[in-house]
Amino acid sequence: MIALYNSRSWKLSSYLIALVLIVPVVVMLVGGVSTSTQLFVHLWQTVLPSYLENTLLLAFWVVLLALFFGVFSAAIITQTNIVFKQQLRWLLLLPLAMPAYLVAYLYTDLFDYAGPVQRALRAWFDWQSPDDYWFFDIRTLPGAALMLALVLFPYIYMLTRGAFEQQDQNLTRASRLLGLTAKQSFFKIALPLARPAIAVSASLVLMETLADFATVQYFSVNTLTTAIYDTWLGYGDLGAANALASVLMLLVLFVVLAEQRSRAGLRHQSARPNLNRELIKLSVIQQFMASIFCWALVILGFLLPLTLLIIMAVQYSDVAQLSVLISTGINSLKISVIAATVAVLIALSLGLYQRLHSDKYRHLPQQISGFGYAIPGTVLAMAMLSTLGPLDHWLNGVVEFFGGVAPGLILSGSLFAIIFALVVRFSAIANGTIMSGIKQIPQSLDYAPASLGVNLKGSLVKVHLPILRPAIIVAWLLVFVEAMKELPAVLLLRPFNFETLSSQIYQLISDEMLEQGALGAILIVLFGLLPIIILNKSKEKV
Amino acid sequence: MTVLLTTQPPIESPVLLSIKQLCVTLQDKAVLSTLDLTLNEGDILGLVGASGCGKTTLLNAIAGFSKPSRGQITIDSNVLSDGDHSVPAEKRQVGMIFQDYALFPHLTVKENIAFGIAKLSKAEQKQQIEQLLAILKLNDYGDSYIHQLSGGQQQRVAIARALAPKPKLLLLDEPFSNIDARLRNELMVEIRLLLKQFKMTAIFVTHNKDEVFTFADKMAVMAQGRLLQLDAPSIICQQPNSYQVADFLQLGSWLPCKVNSAGAHSLLGDLETESIKGEKSRLLYLLIKPQQLTLTAKVDDKNIANAQVEYISVTEQGYHYYLRSINSPSADSALAFNKISLYSNVVLTINQQVLVLIKPHDLIFFERNPL
Repeated sequence: MIALYNSRSWKLSSYLIALVLIVPVVVMLVGGVSTSTQLFVHLWQTVLPSYLENTLLLAFWVVLLALFFGVFSAAIITQTNIVFKQQLRWLLLLPLAMPAYLVAYLYTDLFDYAGPVQRALRAWFDWQSPDDYWFFDIRTLPGAALMLALVLFPYIYMLTRGAFEQQDQNLTRASRLLGLTAKQSFFKIALPLARPAIAVSASLVLMETLADFATVQYFSVNTLTTAIYDTWLGYGDLGAANALASVLMLLVLFVVLAEQRSRAGLRHQSARPNLNRELIKLSVIQQFMASIFCWALVILGFLLPLTLLIIMAVQYSDVAQLSVLISTGINSLKISVIAATVAVLIALSLGLYQRLHSDKYRHLPQQISGFGYAIPGTVLAMAMLSTLGPLDHWLNGVVEFFGGVAPGLILSGSLFAIIFALVVRFSAIANGTIMSGIKQIPQSLDYAPASLGVNLKGSLVKVHLPILRPAIIVAWLLVFVEAMKELPAVLLLRPFNFETLSSQIYQLISDEMLEQGALGAILIVLFGLLPIIILNKSKEKV
Repeated sequence: MTVLLTTQPPIESPVLLSIKQLCVTLQDKAVLSTLDLTLNEGDILGLVGASGCGKTTLLNAIAGFSKPSRGQITIDSNVLSDGDHSVPAEKRQVGMIFQDYALFPHLTVKENIAFGIAKLSKAEQKQQIEQLLAILKLNDYGDSYIHQLSGGQQQRVAIARALAPKPKLLLLDEPFSNIDARLRNELMVEIRLLLKQFKMTAIFVTHNKDEVFTFADKMAVMAQGRLLQLDAPSIICQQPNSYQVADFLQLGSWLPCKVNSAGAHSLLGDLETESIKGEKSRLLYLLIKPQQLTLTAKVDDKNIANAQVEYISVTEQGYHYYLRSINSPSADSALAFNKISLYSNVVLTINQQVLVLIKPHDLIFFERNPL
């Protein structure tokens, strides 16, 4: 490949952007590592081992359950002859729109001692007290794992389904000609070939689990994320919070590296997608069981929680709730629109830099800027606080030195910090979408404008950006929705009296009053559906 | 093989493009080394060579898409590139037709053609576009989008778009590789006439020598970053200047001969040579074309067999035979051959022994030294 342009200022600004995005995390890591060893020893002797154990145990159970749900449903949808397959194909993606903490709250409401299920059971069997019967307790670590797995398994379902469908159908045909039945061929050929996709999607689930804050907090399962939150907001101890965040960061880093190693392995894709494969014929009973399995996932992960929310909204909605919804909604819109716009601009600038600049390391700025996606919101919030706080103090000092009035915490105490954190966290999504758009532009279109006497600026304005318009819109929407849903970073970084939809709902959940925010919760779920529709559409195109 | 023996223009037109000692290095690998080339105004040059020989790199260097490490490129006595200074691609007045055409998918045919002439007034643009659409028989498609056109139509749009800014030199990167083989010849003739009508100087890259014979006035053969020979196609066919050129263009078969001033000795008989000097005999290779051979299928004590049939295929010119030498202990193994091409209407069978004689003609010997 021959790069076209060597503008110095473009190079400088690209590296500067990447640097700005990565610096807070570096500052936090340095702060976390260099924090007084005494404090860390104290943490290690008291709470850290149990937090770490909980975190790892939770991750283990979530991944196991999500693998069970995701791989099985993908296999059923692609390999068997069950009815309503076309509908289940996309219905199984919907749980992704449901925040885990909402599911957790709704099922606790439904299944705890005072909930309708146990009340009905007691009335039916005439039980008087908890001693008369056994009922599972949902507010436990396995319960939290189940809640998370119910809404995260679609990652595994989606990528594994894609892997099954992209497999070269001649491989299956060859195995059949060599004497394998459809079922044997699935276990000996299709499943092993899907391993890279399964591994990648499992690591996505793992990262989402490590980043989860609200579910475990609601279930009082102490993990690293809740510990960071408590240490900072409860004890105001930035050093300790940084240390905990650094531990979590290293854990995530480990997952990312493992994932990249598995990605470096074989990727089986073919030009002959396996769309009209021969299906495994299930018996009627098997079909029935398989259908129940898939429908249970759709119902438990999406339809039931949504129904509960709608019932709540119908029963409890009033005008006061609506006005709160509007004000928090506007706040959410504000930060999400800005974050999405900034993230897309950065992704465009770095993506086009990678494509068109002659810099030997032109891929570097973009790679660095995408690093933030792996970082849990809580960690990112700590990074912002430990970077922007001192920066604010320094700024105030400078202003006062020149005789001005100190402006206060203009960076760490304002929307700037939230938006900054959102941009760092979701730049990778914008990058990925914009890059796949850029990759679809044939290389020759980079050269064609110059051969017609048009310079770089003209080429960008008249060729690249117009062609990229669909990718830009999708990237913007994806970041917008993720920013709307983001909770921990917003909780830790929001200025006083600043509530977004998600933070408001979290507060209500903490106070066991979700009824009052049911409308907002429905809104978040509906927004969450947007990327699923987009993703599903782009998958269908492949 | 279809060879169009184009006659050279009687009066040489002035030099348009001149390349001196051009070197291009990509990823620490010399892709072009000390390449010299000149092209006269109005000439169409066909650039052939195996893939990876640097053809496309040469086009990119001329267009300004890759930076030479050394050497000079001049068009119309304007220096485009030498050592340190380089005119940006968009200021070179060099047009290019890309292998995949690189048409802008989000623009209509008219907008594509207008792309390079945005500086002209609207009226001028309109007039020029209409003219190009008419010449290229695209009148009905001005408002269509690219994906609505056939491959041939897309190529004509690419040509119209490249010609609109009136470039001094037009580069074509494997322009016919995406065209259906049956339509290709017709299209090549059509485009050649069009370029001549515009008096356009052009360089086109291909790995198919037959395209050069149909399309170009001059032919350049490249190998490993160097120009081996540049001349009219008819001259290169008759007088290739090296083993590599003759071999790449598949101008004939190779017969090993022991040659000295007394003559040449081969397994197909002894030959008289005049030009070769020196007492000591050397191993050289004689280029023989099928039409320079005679076949005698009936062999006996008088007509002793000297070759046998290795492989048979059927062509529209009769049977095509590959012949190899007969294994015999007395024969010099260095002179053994295995792929002499011969066309005949006589039916032979595999391993049948035959007598092959070389008709008297100007013998061309080559040394087989690697580059």
